[in-house]
Amino acid sequence: MPLSCSQLSVNYGRRRALHGFFLAMEKGEIRALIGPNGSGKSTALQALAGLIKPSEGRADIEGVAVASMSRKAIAKKLAFLPQQPAAPDEMTIAQLVRQGRFPHVGLFRSYDRRDEEAIEWALESTGLTGFADRTLRELSGGERQRAWISAALAQEAGILLLDEPTSFLDIGYQVEVLDLVHRLSRERGVTIIMAIHDINQAIAVSDRISLLEKGELRFDGEPKALAESGLIEKTFRVRGRFVEVAPDKPPHFDVELTKLPQSKS
Amino acid sequence: MNTKASTVRQPSPWVLPAVLTLVLISFLAAVFLGIVDIPARDVLSALTGSGSPEARSIILDIRLPRIVTGILAGVQFALAGLLLQTITRNPLADPSLMGVSQGATLTVTMFLLFTVYLANPDSHSVNELPIAWLPPAGMVGGMIAGGIIYLLAFRLDLSPIRITLCGIAVGAVMHALAIGLIAGWGSARIEIILEWMSGSFYARTWDHALFLLPFTVVGFAMLPLIYRPLVLLRFDAAVARSFGLSYRRQFSLVLLLSCALAASAVGAVGPIVFVGLIVPHLARFLAGRHFPLVLPLTIVLGAVIVTLGDLIGRLAGGAEEIPIGVVTAVTGVPVLLALLRKIP
Repeated sequence: MPLSCSQLSVNYGRRRALHGFFLAMEKGEIRALIGPNGSGKSTALQALAGLIKPSEGRADIEGVAVASMSRKAIAKKLAFLPQQPAAPDEMTIAQLVRQGRFPHVGLFRSYDRRDEEAIEWALESTGLTGFADRTLRELSGGERQRAWISAALAQEAGILLLDEPTSFLDIGYQVEVLDLVHRLSRERGVTIIMAIHDINQAIAVSDRISLLEKGELRFDGEPKALAESGLIEKTFRVRGRFVEVAPDKPPHFDVELTKLPQSKS
Repeated sequence: MNTKASTVRQPSPWVLPAVLTLVLISFLAAVFLGIVDIPARDVLSALTGSGSPEARSIILDIRLPRIVTGILAGVQFALAGLLLQTITRNPLADPSLMGVSQGATLTVTMFLLFTVYLANPDSHSVNELPIAWLPPAGMVGGMIAGGIIYLLAFRLDLSPIRITLCGIAVGAVMHALAIGLIAGWGSARIEIILEWMSGSFYARTWDHALFLLPFTVVGFAMLPLIYRPLVLLRFDAAVARSFGLSYRRQFSLVLLLSCALAASAVGAVGPIVFVGLIVPHLARFLAGRHFPLVLPLTIVLGAVIVTLGDLIGRLAGGAEEIPIGVVTAVTGVPVLLALLRKIP
């Protein structure tokens, strides 16, 4: 199993951000992590990536405890893209993407053909080949986001963690990113877990969904089962219904643009 | 466009040779020019070991050790500035902002107070000052300041802005203590403190150069080790760690290295303001997108600027030469302002 965790709990000071989170992912699986703001999605991803120390429980990559692995060993297996990462403005896309090879080249080894090929592939997959020489300052929000995804791809890790990869992108780039996620999973067997706000995108692209609320796991299962559970309305405090778009496709959540009366008070 | 050409960067062909030529010119100018007019022919014969004893003494015992000490100190200041600016992700970071200079000032003041004043309370007698001990004394203070910042940084989880604030706070406290000591002490010997504090190469000997040399050598030896981490340390910790960097280890290594470089240089020549701040900016400006050039340019420009600055100070001031620290501060401000205009 590429990625799993059990009883994962994280505290920030006295605040409990994540409690007893568990997950077991198959190779090539796409998992969406949904939940209201502050429900612990980012915390869960960071704990899985070994970036924050859980107060309880453990995360495993291929059965090995993340806590026992070096950063370099983790980076070879798992790439993590945080929300809105910052980078020096004068850095070019090519330079940023090259950093993704660090776990492979280390401190001294020079970049060989394999590395250059990985960089080329990462740029190509994100449609940035022609932009490689532009500095990050010159890019639009969508291009910058793709540059970061490209850097994560250059790591050639079997597991990809994305924290809201489609936020701040226009609908065209959102679809492009989701399309890329789908291709990576199906063509390369990359295991992907992403925090995402758009419920319909989550339902459309993922094999399984984890729903978080106030740090607790409320649901773990297939999109269809989530639609039938009625949990979306309850957790997000909205009214809406699931509409069937096509018989072989997952349903679409149609939200009413007025809130439930009790949430107004 | 093909990616091969865009991912394998060709360094700009003219920048490095141009700057290296500048090193040679400034070095030669510093050797040949001085307040004592020595004909070029005599300088050459002094360098080869012949020539008049006066010329040999001026060239070999005064000018050369001074130039070499200056180059080593300049390179160390510039490197320390680049490293500090990188890990704090703060374009204003330099050894003075991070408290290293102030720590050194404090220990030099204390050292003079204890060795001179306590041994001989008559404040107006001019007795033999233990000048040879100033470099190690200053270095200890700089390292102590660096150590405090390092410990605070670890407690605060290495957040760049907090580290910068710690550096400023530690520097302010140490500076206040040093000024307090000087004010309370009040004697003819303040002059030596003031001269040291303004940053000067005056009367620097081969001993100073030899004192600095191991630090420069160790600094250079570490560069290949931190070359790639330096790029990654410019990202957020979460990003750098995701790319496989042992953030804590590399951060500590770079912070300690920059403190050692800065503290030893401050000890030897006093706090030369602005070299650590300006030179990395100048290097970045000249390098532009050619990222890999920033480090070599910083080193080379550190040597050039200090050599030229000292030469200007020597020639412009006449018999009462202007300390290098004053020259770099006065000329550094317009350079900084010009560079700031280029940065959007």
